[in-house]
Amino acid sequence: MRRVEKTLRQQARDSVNGPLMLLVISLLAYGSVMVSSATAGMTGGPGLFRRHLVGIAIGLVPMVIAWAIDYKKLKHWTGPLLILFAFLLISPRIPGLGTTAKGATSWLQVFGVRLFQPSEPAKLVFIVVMAALIAEYEGRIDKPRDALRLLGYLGMAIALILLQPDLGTGLVFVAISFTMLLVGGMKGRYFAVLALVAVIGIAGILGIDATLDRAFGRDVALKDYQKNRLLVFVDPGRDPAGAGYNLAQSKIAIGSGGISGSGLGSGTQSNLHFLPERHTDFIFAVLGEELGFTGAILLLGLFLALLIASLGIAASSRDLYGALVVAGVMGMWLFQILENIGMTVGMMPITGIPLPFMSFGSSAMVTNLGGVGLLLSVWSRRYGT
Amino acid sequence: MTTFQQQLKSRFAALGLIVVLVLASLLLRLWSMQVLAGDSFAAQAESNRIREISLDAPRGRILDRNGTALVTNRATLAVSVDPADDDVRELIIKEQSLDKTDDPTRADLERVFGGLSDLLGMTPQEVFDKVSDSSVEALRPRVVAVDVPLDIVSQVLERQQEFPGADIDEIAVREYPYGDLAAHVVGYTGEISEKQMSSAPKTAGYELGDIVGKAGVEAEYENVLQGDKGARRIEVNASGKAQRILEEQAGVPGRDIKLTIDIEVQKVAEAALQDALAEAHRQNFRDAKAGAAVVIDVKTGEVLAMASAPTYDPSTFLGGISQTEWTSLTNKSSEYPLNNRVVMAAYPPASTFKAVTGLAGLETKVTYSGKTYTCTGRWTEMGAQWPKWCWDHSGHGTISFDGGVEESCDTVFYEIGYEFYKRKKEELQSVSRTFGLGSDTGIDLPGEVSGRVPDAAWKKQFNENYPEYQVWLPGDTVNMAIGQGDLLVTPLQMATTYAGIANGGVVMTPHVLKNVLGSDGKVAKSYEPEVLANTKISSKNLAIMRSALVRVTTTGTGKGAFAGLGVTVAGKTGTAQVYGKDDYAWFCAFAPAESPKYAVAVVIEQGGHGGSVAAPAARNILAKLLGKKITTVHTTDRSR
Repeated sequence: MRRVEKTLRQQARDSVNGPLMLLVISLLAYGSVMVSSATAGMTGGPGLFRRHLVGIAIGLVPMVIAWAIDYKKLKHWTGPLLILFAFLLISPRIPGLGTTAKGATSWLQVFGVRLFQPSEPAKLVFIVVMAALIAEYEGRIDKPRDALRLLGYLGMAIALILLQPDLGTGLVFVAISFTMLLVGGMKGRYFAVLALVAVIGIAGILGIDATLDRAFGRDVALKDYQKNRLLVFVDPGRDPAGAGYNLAQSKIAIGSGGISGSGLGSGTQSNLHFLPERHTDFIFAVLGEELGFTGAILLLGLFLALLIASLGIAASSRDLYGALVVAGVMGMWLFQILENIGMTVGMMPITGIPLPFMSFGSSAMVTNLGGVGLLLSVWSRRYGT
Repeated sequence: MTTFQQQLKSRFAALGLIVVLVLASLLLRLWSMQVLAGDSFAAQAESNRIREISLDAPRGRILDRNGTALVTNRATLAVSVDPADDDVRELIIKEQSLDKTDDPTRADLERVFGGLSDLLGMTPQEVFDKVSDSSVEALRPRVVAVDVPLDIVSQVLERQQEFPGADIDEIAVREYPYGDLAAHVVGYTGEISEKQMSSAPKTAGYELGDIVGKAGVEAEYENVLQGDKGARRIEVNASGKAQRILEEQAGVPGRDIKLTIDIEVQKVAEAALQDALAEAHRQNFRDAKAGAAVVIDVKTGEVLAMASAPTYDPSTFLGGISQTEWTSLTNKSSEYPLNNRVVMAAYPPASTFKAVTGLAGLETKVTYSGKTYTCTGRWTEMGAQWPKWCWDHSGHGTISFDGGVEESCDTVFYEIGYEFYKRKKEELQSVSRTFGLGSDTGIDLPGEVSGRVPDAAWKKQFNENYPEYQVWLPGDTVNMAIGQGDLLVTPLQMATTYAGIANGGVVMTPHVLKNVLGSDGKVAKSYEPEVLANTKISSKNLAIMRSALVRVTTTGTGKGAFAGLGVTVAGKTGTAQVYGKDDYAWFCAFAPAESPKYAVAVVIEQGGHGGSVAAPAARNILAKLLGKKITTVHTTDRSR
């Protein structure tokens, strides 16, 4: 009995990654405080805050399930998972199942009840599938044919997501793939080619134009309204006039926070409704305004620790597949942090991507905690069974 | 396994580097925004949420010399329309665009303003004209109607969705307890114009839409009457809705002003003008429609009454005057009721000027008391081909200088004028100017004109393009001597001239401000009388003229008007010939003749005879001031 007890305790200690758990709990607590502050002055504010807590609770379920499942078994489910992935992305388009909000058909709705955004859990499915596909090459992707095949899957995923259309999620898929291909051993030269294509294709149009505008101090080359038209074409949810206003208000909120912020619940930009979407996409602006640079450092510090802890889990994995899964989750988080915070400070275009663990929204919460579950699954099986 | 993990090590290191770089770039950006530019963003956040609204301070009141309010303030309910309302703004944008084809149609206006205009008894176009007035600060709601009855107020409030942009505001407006009494002196108020705005620094601190004085004392003492605006800082939310008041600073009311006007005398003066016009009509001068009367204190220059006909009601301007009303006050057939004829109109003074010519003659020894002249009715001294007539074509026979004044004999003054011409010293002009003629009197009212004292230099310059008319001729001086020709004076200038004769040759600057009151109602600042001009005419000559002028009202051309007054008046009739019009009736006087207090000037445009039309008005004004009986005098006096 004593032996068994000890083993169980040992097992439990092995499967729990203390730093990761602590960081996730800290982030969830931090996010809850901010959501509570952001919703305080809103009609139905307390209700929204309760829903946020419920979202966390719901998210614990996929986390525990993913944790319990041996990630290695997922490797053999690529076919069905691909079908699930495609179904998830197409489902909102199926009559009677989907609903359209803000120009994108990205919600699943049954009998008039909004359930969730299938593109959120699809990110995890994408990670698991891509990990299996990349792992086949055993850490060496040095044939153009192989690289193209893998990029073909990514292209397929992007094509599906643009059906909704949801530019932001498509970019998340790109970021996930990039991180996994890096860990999966794709040749540096292919990255260079890819980066070149991406730079010419996207940044070449938007980034260089923006840089030119800044360099000349006026709107040169591609006109802003053309740029907006282009973005609206890809993502009709954008409102060119509204986007500019939202960005300006977000920057004012964050900048006005200064070093120590205006104090929790006392942000005027937030409480007087100058900030749009303040409990969801712009939750960081509320944080920046109310807790200032100090609060921002704390959050970025937590994110840094989370990603370093994740990197540790990836390094602990006994197989490439596990490392790839962790890398995919890391890529998802890192890109969403960059995109979300970046858009609130004007570094990135405005898309509807939530800030992991912080933004209000159950679908994202389920996905991110599911991701934590995948990490724990890898961690708890690092010694092999 | 270990080799595999070593293989991955460099890739994890790269991933870790990317993580650090991404987070570091975000941190750098946040540092620059929050630490470096934090203050500027904080200021933007403040200006986002804080709106400053100026609070109008009550305008100072205008009182008469005894403290009776001529102009005060009252609160009233006004209907305003917000130009920022979507429907309204659409019409304004269409109207203001250069494309004339998209101007709002009658149907557009009917759709947006139809309900409101029906309620207010206006046309949709009238409402729109007020709303689209670009002279008002862009965002300020435009007042479209003031003094709105309560039932209309409640209808506007209850059915607000039917009236795009309409709301009810309580605003302070000017009140005129005596209606149009002294309208030309007090003037009127209105929204500041863009032109006025640009005339800084006098209007520094004003905003478009502010109410300012536009005429009369309201304009002249704008800076005294206008208070210092208060300010209210309110917090607004993103949709501009006020959340709470952060700070409020009450305005400082403008200062009350006491005028030299006596409303009782003013009433008499205005009534006397109306009576004079009626008398002119009675005498068949049907075109008599306008006139002016002014009375001043000879020792201080204080204006006790100043009347101009026709007049207007300053309350017409409350809440903005409509185009129709404005047109009716300014078109050609209106006789320009907005003009204060006492200071803004210049007329030939006719025989009233003979007092000046006489004094000039005495001073230069061109004539003397008792000097005799012969009047045959026809005067041909300048040559038989240039005959001039005395108004009395039968002639006055042998007549003295003094009799010439009394009977207003033109021949006597032709002789004097001709003598001046021959002396070639322009002495008549010099003496005229010592009385202040040809220049502004400097009265504290806007729009004063200076009249004209013609001389050789003026004539040359005036006829610049007509060389044949440039030479100063004998007839020019002769005509001027009887107050005709190119001589032009304002009624106020004639009053100050007669005041100067009465006041030992010293002309005081006329003024309407008596004092400025402090917030405690006590006098804070008084107007100190100023000398406008010293004619240095000898008291002997002034006495000669004074007795000649007394005879005018006792036995001469003005005797009918002053019969039974009970006060000795020194005055002079005048009947001015104006080309293409009926004669203008004049009377100028001062009284009591023995110890003069008041000088009065009256002119009735196209009123006919000075003695029977203008003199009775002057009589009643003086009677009021000197405590005598006011009567309607009809005389048969047809002299000049």
